[in-house]
Amino acid sequence: MTAKDEIAALVVEFEKYGYVLSEELATILFLNQKLEKPVLLEGNPGVGKTAVAKCLASHHQTDLIRLQCYEGLDVNAAIYEWNYQKQLLNIKIMENETDRHAVSREIFGMEFLLQRPLLQSITSPKPVVLLIDEVDRADEEFEAFLLEILSDFQISIPEVGTVVAHHKPFVILTSNRTRELSDALKRRCLYHWVDYPDFKKEVQILLKSLPDLDENLARQVVLVVQELRDMKLNKSPGIAESIDWARTLLALDSLTLDKLTMENSLGAVLKSQDDIRKVKTDHLTRLADLIN
Amino acid sequence: MTTDAVSSQPSLAQNSRDAITRFFRFARQHGLSVGLGETEMALEAAQLGLMARPDHFKYMLRCICCGTQADLPVFEEIYYYFWTGEQEYKKSKVTVRDDRTPAEDARASLILMGTSQKGRGNEENQEAKNMSGANGLEKLRKTDLCLIAAIDEPYFDELAQKLWRQMSYRMKRRMKTGNRGGAIDFNKTIRKSIPKGGWPGELVQKQRKKVKKRIVMLLDVSGSMDKYSFYLLKFICVLRAYFEKIEAFTFSTELRHVTPYLEAYELQKALQIISSEVKSWSSGTRIGDCLADFNANYAKDTLSRSSIVIVLSDGLDTGDPDVLENAIKGIKLKTKQLIWLNPLKGMEGYQPIQRGMSRALPFVDEFRSAHTLDSLLELENFLSYV
Repeated sequence: MTAKDEIAALVVEFEKYGYVLSEELATILFLNQKLEKPVLLEGNPGVGKTAVAKCLASHHQTDLIRLQCYEGLDVNAAIYEWNYQKQLLNIKIMENETDRHAVSREIFGMEFLLQRPLLQSITSPKPVVLLIDEVDRADEEFEAFLLEILSDFQISIPEVGTVVAHHKPFVILTSNRTRELSDALKRRCLYHWVDYPDFKKEVQILLKSLPDLDENLARQVVLVVQELRDMKLNKSPGIAESIDWARTLLALDSLTLDKLTMENSLGAVLKSQDDIRKVKTDHLTRLADLIN
Repeated sequence: MTTDAVSSQPSLAQNSRDAITRFFRFARQHGLSVGLGETEMALEAAQLGLMARPDHFKYMLRCICCGTQADLPVFEEIYYYFWTGEQEYKKSKVTVRDDRTPAEDARASLILMGTSQKGRGNEENQEAKNMSGANGLEKLRKTDLCLIAAIDEPYFDELAQKLWRQMSYRMKRRMKTGNRGGAIDFNKTIRKSIPKGGWPGELVQKQRKKVKKRIVMLLDVSGSMDKYSFYLLKFICVLRAYFEKIEAFTFSTELRHVTPYLEAYELQKALQIISSEVKSWSSGTRIGDCLADFNANYAKDTLSRSSIVIVLSDGLDTGDPDVLENAIKGIKLKTKQLIWLNPLKGMEGYQPIQRGMSRALPFVDEFRSAHTLDSLLELENFLSYV
C-alpha cells in the first residue's frame, strides 16, 4: 500500500469513530506511525486535540494512556514512585536475612515500583497511545524529563537502571499555548496547528457525532457558532461547544433555531456570563436574522 | 553535513534528496529553526512515498519545519519561493530574516531609540543616554517604563516575563526549603499504622502552616501614571500564586474596584477590559478622596493584620491634603505593611515635597520608585519576607 492510500485509509478509518480528519493531520499521523516521532498539537480549546488521541487508540486497537499535566506535576506523579509501605513491610519480613545486598536487591525490584503513566506507556506489552495533555501547564523543569522519553523512549531509574521501551508508544502532545514550549521539546515533535474548521467541515463533524441531528439545524448551529467566533468573546466556542449546543437543541426537540430557542439555550455554547450578556443585548437579533 | 544526511538515505532519487537538503538550508537561512536532525527526518519521510502528491509533501515539510503558530506564515512564504524560484525571494526581501533572536533585535532597536525618539523632546533623549549598562538588554531593564518605545514593547514584555518567571521560580525554591518537614506527629503516625498491624509505614510530620499574605493594590491611573500602573498590575499578577488574594483598585477622580476583572479572565484580557472600562483612566487625580472612599467601603473587607497595601501614585493631589493624611493614616492602622511606589522618585533630584506626598510619607513603611523593570524586581525582597 502506498503512502497516499494509507493516508486516505486513515481519513476513512477516523470517520468511523466520528472524527473528521483533515488530509494534513492524516499525513502527520501517518508520519507519527512510520517515523515514530511524537506529534505536538496546538490550538484553541475545544478544537478536538484530545479527541485525536482517543481515535488513534481506537484505530490501532490499543489502550490510551493519558497524562494530564498541571502546574507542579513531578516525577512521582508522572513517571514512577517507590511503594514505600511495601518496601518497609518486606524489610520486616526479611529481618532474619543476613545478606544486606539481597535485601536491597529485593526491595528495589520492579514489583516495588508504582508505575505512573509515562513508565506504564513504555513497559506495556503492546504499543499504546500516550497522550500528554496540556503540556504547557506543566513546569518547564518537567519538560526536561519528557525529553529523554520522547527522543529515546527510555526512562532512567537510578536504583534499577534504564528501562527501554518494549514497544514504542504513539505519542500525542497537546498544548493550549498558554506559554511557549522549549525548543528542545519542539524539535523532537511533528508540529500541527489545529484550527477551527470551516463551515462545511464543521457541519460534517456535527452530523457525524450526532446522527439524529437534522442537517438544516446543523447548518444553523454552525452558522451562528462561526459568527460567535468572529466576535472576539472572552471564551470563543470550540467544536465541543457546537456539539453540546446541537445536543441541547435535540434534547429540547427544536427543529429549527429561532431567536427564542437561541436565547434559552445560549448557555450551552457560551460559558461566560459576560459573553452571554453581550450577545443577548447586542447581537441576538442580528444572529436570528442571519439564520433566516 | 549535506553528504552525511544524503548518504543515509540510499533509495531516494539523488535529485530529490538534493532538493530537500537545499530546501532545509534555504529555510534555515530565512529564519526557521531547522537543523540536520530535521533534514534527516524529512528525507526519511520522503522515502515513505510522500513525494507522490505535492500536498502531502508540503504537509510533511510543514510539520517538520514549524514549531509554533508563528512559524506557519514564514514557512508558507519560504515554501512558495523555494519551489518557484529562489532568486526572486532574495530580491524581493530587502531585509532577510536571519538567525537573530528577539533579544538581539531588541538591542538593534535600542540603538535606534536615541534617534527615533528625537521628536519626543530632549529630556527623554537625555534619560536614554544617561542610562548605564553594558548592553541593550541591560539598558532596557533600566529604562523608565514610560519611555519604552512602541517598537520595543514586545521585547520588553518578553524580557519582563522572563525575569519575573525567574524571580517566581526563586521564590518557589525559597519557600520549599523554608518549610521542610518538621517534627514527627506521633499521634497521627500511630493512628495511620493501625491498619498495618502497628508498623509505622507512613510517618506523618508536623509542618508549619503556610500563611499567605493578602495584597491590596491602589493604582493611580491618571495621566502619566497609567503605564506604571499597567506594568505593576502585570507584575503582581505573575506572582499571584504567592498571595492568598490579590485585590486591585484603580483611582484618579473616583475609586474603582477592578479585582473581578483579574479573576474572570486571563491577565491580558483583564488589562484590556480595565483600560476600556475605567472611566477615569488618564484624567486628574484626587488621591485623598479616593483613598477615603477605599477606607470607608472596602478596607474592612480587604485589609487584615497580615495584608500588604501597595499604593502607586505620583502624589500630585488636587484635593484637600488633610483628607489624604487621614485616609492614609486609616489604611496604615488596618494593615501590616504599606508600600508607596512613586515613579517620580526615580528622577534625579526628586524630593517628596508636594503637599500630598509630604503629608502621607510619615505613615508609609516603604517609599520606593518602581519606575523601571529593575526597580520592580527589587520589590521581591519586600514581597517574600513580609
